[in-house]
Amino acid sequence: MHLTGTALFVWAAAFALEILLLVVLVTRHRATTFPVFTTLIAFNIVKTVVLYPIMVHGTKHSYFVGYFAFAILDFALQSSIAYELASHVFRPTGTWAPDVRKAFLILTVASFTVAAALACIPSPPERTLLGTLLDRGNLFSSALQCELFIGMIALSATARLPWKTHVARIAQGLGFYSLIGLLLDASQNVLVRSSASFQAVDYIRNVTYLLCESYWIVMLWQNAPAPQELPEETRRQLFTLQRRVEYDLRKLRALKR
Amino acid sequence: MITIRTLYFFGFLAIFLVAILATGAHYYLRHLKQQKYPYGKWDELLKRLGSLDHNNLALIAGSFDNEPDMEDEDLDPEQIWHLLGGMQGLEVVEKNCAVLVDLVFYVQQWYPEAMLVAEQLRQNAREVQWHIDRIKSAAKIGKPRTATPEYLQQAVAIYYRMSCQVLTLYEQADLPGLADLQGAL
Repeated sequence: MHLTGTALFVWAAAFALEILLLVVLVTRHRATTFPVFTTLIAFNIVKTVVLYPIMVHGTKHSYFVGYFAFAILDFALQSSIAYELASHVFRPTGTWAPDVRKAFLILTVASFTVAAALACIPSPPERTLLGTLLDRGNLFSSALQCELFIGMIALSATARLPWKTHVARIAQGLGFYSLIGLLLDASQNVLVRSSASFQAVDYIRNVTYLLCESYWIVMLWQNAPAPQELPEETRRQLFTLQRRVEYDLRKLRALKR
Repeated sequence: MITIRTLYFFGFLAIFLVAILATGAHYYLRHLKQQKYPYGKWDELLKRLGSLDHNNLALIAGSFDNEPDMEDEDLDPEQIWHLLGGMQGLEVVEKNCAVLVDLVFYVQQWYPEAMLVAEQLRQNAREVQWHIDRIKSAAKIGKPRTATPEYLQQAVAIYYRMSCQVLTLYEQADLPGLADLQGAL
């Protein structure tokens, strides 16, 4: 397989930005807060390093097999990121907000069902089993991500749980990429794989990814605004309240015995 | 060539996209509105208040509390239901409780210390909700609606005290909209 000049440039730019993003995540200590997201970026770098020589020197089939294997891992990581972001929003104190847990489970199950139904409908023209699986898998993954992110926004707004700056920025980038990806995956499910339009869709996808990477680099480089401190009086009130609760709990435990 | 299945696919995709974008836009607009009016909008708060006869509520609450200045007359369950306006009246009490909490929350923009009143009302609202849930559960298992007069009276008495508290707060703080509120409650 050969890449055209523009496609090669987009690939190289995406690779350079991935490395830069990983450097930002590590040097600005975001990797400890977002381990899964960091893993995904590192994984993308490895993917590029492995797939590029296969694409240049290997056969078309070997490239597809490699791409398919990476796509499965990619899907697993993207789903884990949705969980990572959800736990930042819905588990601000380390335990799940009780009124949200059930709703989040329902959202996940419903999103899986709708995304699977959407991915099953199209019948791609002349396609190998691997190609069909890949295209349907991509469509499923994009639809699922869109649903999960929108659902999380709705849930957090209902439960009045705030999105911390970096969580919101990562989610915005992923949400935008998934939404554009959904449109592109949908068109690729009805286009002939070797056609020029199919390649053009791939090109738009890569440019979208470049934009998202640039956005993450800038946003994750910046520090989140420092949270406001509680007034001294409120701090004292909370301290007293905590002591009272501890005392009441001790009394209750003693009663139980 | 476009098959019927492809058409179905694009139809389903369009519905899916519209649903996703509409949900996103709805919550984004809600977020903008919350930023603009963090304490809510006065007109909308008043609109949410359902209509109840304040005098009838006072009568039910008085018979429950046995206040000395009220006529010491015991109301039978059927009378209480009639005065409240049946199950519909009970639904209004349930909804109004949340509005009363929001009305005090609204005061916080001028008097942050009103937070304490809001918290107290929130607790009262939970209590009312508990009593109403008991009444609804009893109705579900086929008990006659007059079988749970104590829950009904308690719910109405707490709601009545809540509404008096809100009115007193608006009166004492000399807040705008007191006349509207008196009319609505």
